[in-house]
Amino acid sequence: MKKFAHCLLGFMGSLSVAVAHAELSSIDDGDLSAISGQGGVYLSGEITINEQGGPIQNAYFGSCSDPAKRCGARIAYQTRQDGGWYVLDDIRGSFSFQGLTLRVRNIDSGFGGDGALFNREVLEIGLPDTIKVDNLQYTYATSSTARPTDAGYKQTDIYTVNIDGDVTMKGNLLVFPTGTP
Amino acid sequence: MRVKNKKLLLFVPVLAFSSLASAELATLSDDEMSTVDGAGIGLVLEDFVFDHGDDQANGQVFKITGIKSTAASPEDVEITVSQLYIARADSNYGENLNPVNLGRLVNPFQIDVIDGATLGIGNKAVLEMAAPTKVPFAEGYDCLSSSATAGSGTCSSRPMDLGAGFNGERPDLGLKLGVAVGSKTPHNVNINAKSAVFDGSYLRLWGDDDRHQLVAEYKLNFYTPELSINSCDPSGQNCGSTIYMKNFELELALGNRFQPMYMDVNGDGNFVFEVKAIAHQYMNQLPSSGKCDAGNPCSANAQAAYDFFKSYYENDEFRSNLRIGNMTIGDINASGKDFGSARIEGMLIQYLKVTSHDLAAP
Repeated sequence: MKKFAHCLLGFMGSLSVAVAHAELSSIDDGDLSAISGQGGVYLSGEITINEQGGPIQNAYFGSCSDPAKRCGARIAYQTRQDGGWYVLDDIRGSFSFQGLTLRVRNIDSGFGGDGALFNREVLEIGLPDTIKVDNLQYTYATSSTARPTDAGYKQTDIYTVNIDGDVTMKGNLLVFPTGTP
Repeated sequence: MRVKNKKLLLFVPVLAFSSLASAELATLSDDEMSTVDGAGIGLVLEDFVFDHGDDQANGQVFKITGIKSTAASPEDVEITVSQLYIARADSNYGENLNPVNLGRLVNPFQIDVIDGATLGIGNKAVLEMAAPTKVPFAEGYDCLSSSATAGSGTCSSRPMDLGAGFNGERPDLGLKLGVAVGSKTPHNVNINAKSAVFDGSYLRLWGDDDRHQLVAEYKLNFYTPELSINSCDPSGQNCGSTIYMKNFELELALGNRFQPMYMDVNGDGNFVFEVKAIAHQYMNQLPSSGKCDAGNPCSANAQAAYDFFKSYYENDEFRSNLRIGNMTIGDINASGKDFGSARIEGMLIQYLKVTSHDLAAP
């Protein structure tokens, strides 16, 4: 029975290919040059970072229900060889957006007269109007070592930022190469 | 067998397309090639509005914590960001948020990697993040005036022109903070800038081989026809006197090609911010008079040092300026007290080092 189904599908597949092929016609260079990539991409997404706590459990990191421990992610970066570290610590929470768009757009008008001068294509990232932020937080700190478990660890927490609720972010980000093309 | 067939099928169309594509390509001549340079990325924000604030009744939270007061028994300081906005220049202190453009298509915000030799930074690749550049006076707009026309100044960003249906590239910016120390009643601090311009600002980053460190050069230009600061009760309705700074111009230069700015963290986990001392390899050979001219001939080395310092001290690019056209405290339209204008010009940093200390540490 299964074999039969495969056979049937295969047959229908080849039939549709044949039909489709009959509808195609060749495009000459002149017609081809008038076609540009239209359309675009519409993106929605949700990014969550250590909402419940990360995978590492030790003297420093643990579950978010344990107030004595930190449960967020940690990013440490160094600006001098053998120097101390800048740290974004205890990063957690989530943010989501709906309707981030991505397309290529030709600009030849508008922008107070700049559009006509510019007359080129740009990559347009349409911002999603609202970004829903759910208890996003991070601590900015400076530390003597990259990891809190390293020997000689000392850290100064400078401030903690908490963001929750809807952030308004409207508009389009236009990205294009500069310099002389 | 099936898989092999698929590959073959894919291969044929690719071949067909590649032959078509090559028919569309044309060779570039040497002359054409010479006009191509390493391009950076231009960024323009079109019809942009940003707004977020703390309104806990409506589930909006935006706060900064972790700071302690310096009293005998330190208390937690909680800073609530009541509003942070970027919008068109007629926002009425953040009340009406309309879209604005940031950067111009013909002079955008840019991220670029530049040959350091063109900036006087040796044989280095320099990462530059820059706001729109300043332009010649004939093409530019006055940096302060909200009704500036072409040919009135050196700023590239244009003011809004609602008559022509144009939002402009000069945003209103505002930050409203609630500062609460422990359980005391919080105070509101509001900072608003109208029609702000950042043209000519940049951050350049490169590596220092001797110190094995990331170093930077930072220039911040900030122009606004009105910068206002006031303090209100928690409701934001009853406010004290407002400090109005009309025609506010800040041109801050931190670090330059001879004195880069270093940012580092020391072994105790405190940050260190440093601007290198100005020095020249032959500065010890300068005569005690400090002069090298016709009446005071110097050795070649001393002359080189003299010329270096002369050009360093005469270069306005390395100096910081702050100009306030008029400062008024109170109600600007009624009985405000007029403190006149204030200027700090030609500030030069010869050496600067700032280290943080953790007051909470034993």
